[in-house]
Amino acid sequence: MKLYHFTEMPYPYIAPEAEEANRGLKYFMPNRYYDPVLGHELYQRYLDEYELADELGFDLMVNEHHQSASTLQVSATLSAASVLHRTRRGRVLILGTPLPHRESPIRVAEEIAYLDSVSGGRIDCGFVRGVQGETFPSNQNPVHNLDMFIEAHDLIKKAWTSGDVFSWEGRHYHYRYVSVWPRPYQQPHPPIWISGTSTRLVEWTARHGYTLCNLLGTYDDTATSFRLYRRTAVAAGLPEPGPDRFAYMALCHVAPTEAKAREIGRKLIYYLKPGKLRLGAASPPGYFPPASAVAALQGRLGAVRRMSYEDLIDAGILLIGTPDQVTAQIHRLYEQTGAGHLILMNHAGDMTSNEVRDHLTLFAKDVMPAVTALGADWHDKDTTWRVDNDTTPVQAVLSSALS
Amino acid sequence: MSTLLFLHDADVLPGTIGALGLLADDLHVAVPRHPGFGTPLDDTAQDWDSVADLAQHYLSDPVTDPPHGPLHLAGAGFGGWIALEMAVRAPHLFTTLTLVSPYGVKLSGPTEPDFADILLLDPTEIVELGWAEPTACHDLRMPGYPPGLTDDDYERAFADRAALSRYAWKPFLHDPRLRRWLHLITMPTLVIAGTHDRLVPPRHSAALADLLPSARFVELPHAGHYPYLERPHAFHREVRSFLIGEAQ
Repeated sequence: MKLYHFTEMPYPYIAPEAEEANRGLKYFMPNRYYDPVLGHELYQRYLDEYELADELGFDLMVNEHHQSASTLQVSATLSAASVLHRTRRGRVLILGTPLPHRESPIRVAEEIAYLDSVSGGRIDCGFVRGVQGETFPSNQNPVHNLDMFIEAHDLIKKAWTSGDVFSWEGRHYHYRYVSVWPRPYQQPHPPIWISGTSTRLVEWTARHGYTLCNLLGTYDDTATSFRLYRRTAVAAGLPEPGPDRFAYMALCHVAPTEAKAREIGRKLIYYLKPGKLRLGAASPPGYFPPASAVAALQGRLGAVRRMSYEDLIDAGILLIGTPDQVTAQIHRLYEQTGAGHLILMNHAGDMTSNEVRDHLTLFAKDVMPAVTALGADWHDKDTTWRVDNDTTPVQAVLSSALS
Repeated sequence: MSTLLFLHDADVLPGTIGALGLLADDLHVAVPRHPGFGTPLDDTAQDWDSVADLAQHYLSDPVTDPPHGPLHLAGAGFGGWIALEMAVRAPHLFTTLTLVSPYGVKLSGPTEPDFADILLLDPTEIVELGWAEPTACHDLRMPGYPPGLTDDDYERAFADRAALSRYAWKPFLHDPRLRRWLHLITMPTLVIAGTHDRLVPPRHSAALADLLPSARFVELPHAGHYPYLERPHAFHREVRSFLIGEAQ
């Protein structure tokens, strides 16, 4: 199992009254609440933690959100450039670039190719639709979100692999002369990752053989969505996908005692507070199919946000405890889902740098050695998620918790 | 008998709601449902992405061909925008034009939104901004509004919002090309706004009327964005006398 260090780089200095008045921290947050000096210090601190994680043997993940106090990463490719510059060993997973929200897929193709070239192939390239609320900072039409995602992907992949100048006059993107320099270092292109749970997107990811990531879903939902992927891939004539095609993101904190881990780890639920966004932002027009939009409206979506701290630990969405306990949780994740990549959100809210550093160090010493072998022998017959062993019917998963 | 082609707003129930039923006493009133809002053309309209598509559709639709006598064009809110797009394309087709707080034309600067964000605001906020007397609200349908409907009803409301978004997301609720052709709308025009409309402020409708060569602006008291629902009799009196007077 490969393990990734990740922080969204939050800005934790927003007063509760300001958060309340602005319906949360994201998308509609006045930037007068941002202090440039504190912001600079935060960026340096977060990059220092990436540097430590790299030295401890983690791989590294970056992302982006916009107009948000819960994420100061504004461009996953810019963050990747910063992290690459600070590190020497770990892979840098960009998860991801929200394709429908970027005006120019060609610019994305160039930036990823640049990062891959500069780093000698240390890049994993994730593409995402962008969570619902991202619709408002970018102002891209949510109705076209998934179609734009797929068209932008097709264009980027052709730009990396064509070898010739070509023209692209599609539904959403128009270029008369495309020839991206440089080409990626990893040929024909860096590994591609996708995050999402919608049926159409999971099936599309499976047919392309890309790595599918579930963010903070329940293990049941995650296993269900991975099952759809495996069945789709096999039906398309591809080899049975192994654990390296599946990734899961959890919030994580280990400490020498369970009590200490739970005390500090409580800060991680910063990202799982119940959403306060208007329905129009949590479920923008056309972003979900109408049936899923109704499910969101009726509260059948985002159930993770209503779970208690203890239930979240039991469900494994929070990996919190002693090294032995978290090792056991990760084994359970692997046994139930077959995920071969684990992204660890090791920081949230106002968790201090020392708390993050102590956790990273302890995890690297006592958990990492006990879980890295997971997934290496995935051909074992006793795994429940292997296509031949798994007779559970394929079902749709509504969506992950995030908005 | 004259024909009134009335193009409906976003979030309203289908049919001859409110004052449209009263107008049907004297006129043949057609209130077609826009493609995308629950019609046999919904699948086709998946590829339509502008109000120009809807205008083109209605200009070639049999509902107006041949009309029973003079053909009057009208539209409210989103439907008013469609009517404006039709009027600049085929001014000779219509005897009159009636606009009820129409979207479609941006008159203010880049940092001043002309219209409320009906694709973000909650239904309760839209009712609050769109009615002089919010508690009297009726004949509106939005995601989750009114409470207690079936999942199917709300699916329809979400699908309607998706259709509106396809036509009107960006530029938001307006067509930058429209303003430069408004001088072509030479037919007698009535622009009506409710005094309490905070979705499309009455001053916007008044300023739009000033840009139309033969337009008269009327403000209806005690009404918001849906005067044909909130003050149906007053609305009926104004529009009926305008249509009958201008049709002679």
